Amino acid sequence: MFAYIVRRVAAGMVMILAMSLVTMLLFFASPADPARYTCGKNCTPQLLEQNRKALGYDQPVLSYWVDFTKGIFVGSEFPKDPALKKSAPETIADCPAPCLGYSPQSSRPVRDIIVEKLPVSASLAIAAFIMWMIAGVGLGIVAALRKGSIVDRAIVGSALVFYAFPTFFIGLGLYVFLALKWGIVPVPAYTSIADGGVGLWLQGLFLPALTLALVYIAGYIRLTRAFVLEVKGEDYLRTAQAKGLTSGRILFKHTLRGALTPIATVAGLDLGGLLGGTIITEQVFNYDGLGRTAVMAATTYDLPVTVGIVLVAATFVITANIVVDVLYAVIDPRVKYS
Amino acid sequence: MSSRKRTTALAALGVASVLGVSACGGGGTTGGTTSGSNAAGGAQKGGTIYMLTKRPAEHMDPQRTYIGRDIFNQQRLVYRGLLQFPAGKSGADAIVPIPDVATDTGKSEDGGKKWTFTIKDGVKWEDGKPTTCEDFKYGFSRNFATDVLTGGPSIYPLNFMPSVAKAYKGPYLKTGQDVYDKAVTCNGNVLTFNFEKPWADFPMAIAGLNFAAPFRQDKDQGDKNNFVIFSNGPYKAEGGKWTKGTGATFVRNDQYDPKTDGNRQANPDKFVFTEGLTNEIITQRLIADGGNDKYAITDRSIPPAFYNQITGDVAKRATNVPSPYTFYILPNFNKMKNLKVRQALAMSTDRAGYINALGGAKAATLAKSLVAPDLPGYKENPAFSSMPPSGDPVAAKKLLQEAGVAMPYPITYTYQGGTPTSDNAAAALKSGWDKAGFSVKLAPLTDTYYDVIQNPSNNSFDVTEGGWGADYPSIFTVLPALFDSRINLTGKSNGQDYGNYKNPDAEKIMDEAAAAPTADAANAKWQELDAFLGKDVAYIPNYIQNFYFLHGSGVGNYNQNPAVSQFPDLGVISVNK
Repeated sequence: MFAYIVRRVAAGMVMILAMSLVTMLLFFASPADPARYTCGKNCTPQLLEQNRKALGYDQPVLSYWVDFTKGIFVGSEFPKDPALKKSAPETIADCPAPCLGYSPQSSRPVRDIIVEKLPVSASLAIAAFIMWMIAGVGLGIVAALRKGSIVDRAIVGSALVFYAFPTFFIGLGLYVFLALKWGIVPVPAYTSIADGGVGLWLQGLFLPALTLALVYIAGYIRLTRAFVLEVKGEDYLRTAQAKGLTSGRILFKHTLRGALTPIATVAGLDLGGLLGGTIITEQVFNYDGLGRTAVMAATTYDLPVTVGIVLVAATFVITANIVVDVLYAVIDPRVKYS
Repeated sequence: MSSRKRTTALAALGVASVLGVSACGGGGTTGGTTSGSNAAGGAQKGGTIYMLTKRPAEHMDPQRTYIGRDIFNQQRLVYRGLLQFPAGKSGADAIVPIPDVATDTGKSEDGGKKWTFTIKDGVKWEDGKPTTCEDFKYGFSRNFATDVLTGGPSIYPLNFMPSVAKAYKGPYLKTGQDVYDKAVTCNGNVLTFNFEKPWADFPMAIAGLNFAAPFRQDKDQGDKNNFVIFSNGPYKAEGGKWTKGTGATFVRNDQYDPKTDGNRQANPDKFVFTEGLTNEIITQRLIADGGNDKYAITDRSIPPAFYNQITGDVAKRATNVPSPYTFYILPNFNKMKNLKVRQALAMSTDRAGYINALGGAKAATLAKSLVAPDLPGYKENPAFSSMPPSGDPVAAKKLLQEAGVAMPYPITYTYQGGTPTSDNAAAALKSGWDKAGFSVKLAPLTDTYYDVIQNPSNNSFDVTEGGWGADYPSIFTVLPALFDSRINLTGKSNGQDYGNYKNPDAEKIMDEAAAAPTADAANAKWQELDAFLGKDVAYIPNYIQNFYFLHGSGVGNYNQNPAVSQFPDLGVISVNK
């Protein structure tokens, strides 16, 4: 098992580095000139060239990638100008390992930006995760237990309504009606626990998390319902009933244990994906997380931030995959890795 | 609406797609607009104003800031320079430079080559140290560090001090420091700029841009300073910085002495800036007018979809004024060399149809010149002043026949497309041109638009479009920037001269205007140049973008005026308690 984990982690790291190279290749292949964007109005060819140099885009993509990769392991500093470092060392930004580059648009190391934005995306993802797991799994169980009834149909049908709408539609709808028109909840704004305490943090998370949860709930209701119904037909449950166990004990100790294992797998992957940023929800609610930062970086040709967020998002997804695979072996004794 | 001074046409055109249009509540004049229950004066002190915006600030470093909105917000709140524009005035009075940290508006010698200012006593930085002549000299020197500090309007110091620009590499590398020290001097509290060319409207330039703002050498960390705010104004940033993507909160600076100012009213106790919001959310919040949004303002136009909601009390909180941004159509002179053909093009341009596609009269105003009406020296371009807004296809057809070209005359119109609005606007132009005898092919482009039209070797288009706003209130920052081939045309790029226009006669007038010893003399020459360009159909003025903003019901002394590029003037705004 240990060797398996080591192999998977090593493969994951290679994949992450490959993704960084692919992102850079795509960026440099773009017909738009990022230096033009930062050069300002009245940009002369000389100023344009100096902008390109200041951005670090005057070097070949492979060289840029090698510099970037080196920075991850040994750190870096910006700008890389020995003469400037000698005459004005205070202007050099230090970026210790693991350095993910320096954003010329934000004038900060990318790592600092990610550290600042990650809690926003993570808070949102986790709050939404808790909501959809409780509601999705709970309603899925109810639907399975009341299979064919009007309750079953109502749960599955209403969940599908939300599933059918795009995220921005649900988000804007909740924002405009619940917060602005009816004033049921305050205008959503992210407040960290450090700044406003747990109460304000939860209050700010409510609407965006609900938006995400509503989108995911439908899938989890259907999954849970299907797996619970499948497990209910297993021989060992009939045996449990024959032994005279209570229906509650059969449900919680035997049925759910079997049914929820695949749901845990899917949930882990979904959460891993969301931790890397929820672009649309963050945009709608103006949450300054990784998703919104990624959009801003892409539209302002901020390559270092784009690459940094791609790598963080990829790391979450790859890690979630590895964790889920390892958990399979833990949960199901039939699975063996060698 | 992006609404930026530094905007290249790239951004200027981008904003066109999000123009707001609707019934107008407030002003509606080019001079500016004022509303609020205490607009006439007696503004209340205290409270908090909330600025809701979309576009993130690119720089908070004064020497790097080139977006009109940010320049004037900085000036009103945290950065005091030598001169400033009056707060809360309208029309031409709004853009008359007045002293800020300088004791007067400067003394000019040597035909505008030498400018001298005396620094006031008593103006302090937020740490209590005085703002000195050396701070101004150091701040100006940062314009020459173009390898470290990118994006700002350094083109002006570089242009008027070409020898210094060649020798001096800024205060970090210090190469050529002695050359700079002779060009800009401090003698006690007397600051002198020795330019190599006459700069008649230098006071206008330093009131309208922040490149001459003071900067404390001991606080300078180069690019790392980009979002650091070290104030000598009435407010200071909480935490000393702007957070990109989020904004900042400004609180009172206890080192600020209003007696040294006399212009900024500094009414609210606090300003809270939130950036990154969508136009739709901003508008919804301002319409709802709930909670803190009662005290909110914005620099984003109302999207067309919200037109019909701007009625009753909401309409009273809406203002609609022409922005400083003019949009124009221009022929590619590499292809369209026949004057009669260009005249036919101009005569058949359906500008009214274009404006209708944008949303109508509330979205845009018909332009009579590329020069914005707020600029000193503005005069309608005689070539276009009487041209019908919808064009005259019959007269145009006659001109095309006189040109002796085969008809229908094929042309390709390249524009920044990708939105229904831009495509509808282009279709309106095509319709008018087709009626006149052109055969128009529409070629919308998105990301590659400027890579195409700025490539002088690219002859894939005959006609394209552009947008421009003056850097500071001077035609000098408009016409030469767009039509002087000597500064625009290189082998690789046409700069901002997208039509590849090159005319020695026009450039002679530009030189005469630039060398004029007084602003009035220069303006007469600029008018002559504009008329020349019109006669040559170097451009066709299309429309002036309107700013259609909402503000909360608790906002007092709300004012938009040319001094702040028609954005809300934070120098006079207040909270109605």
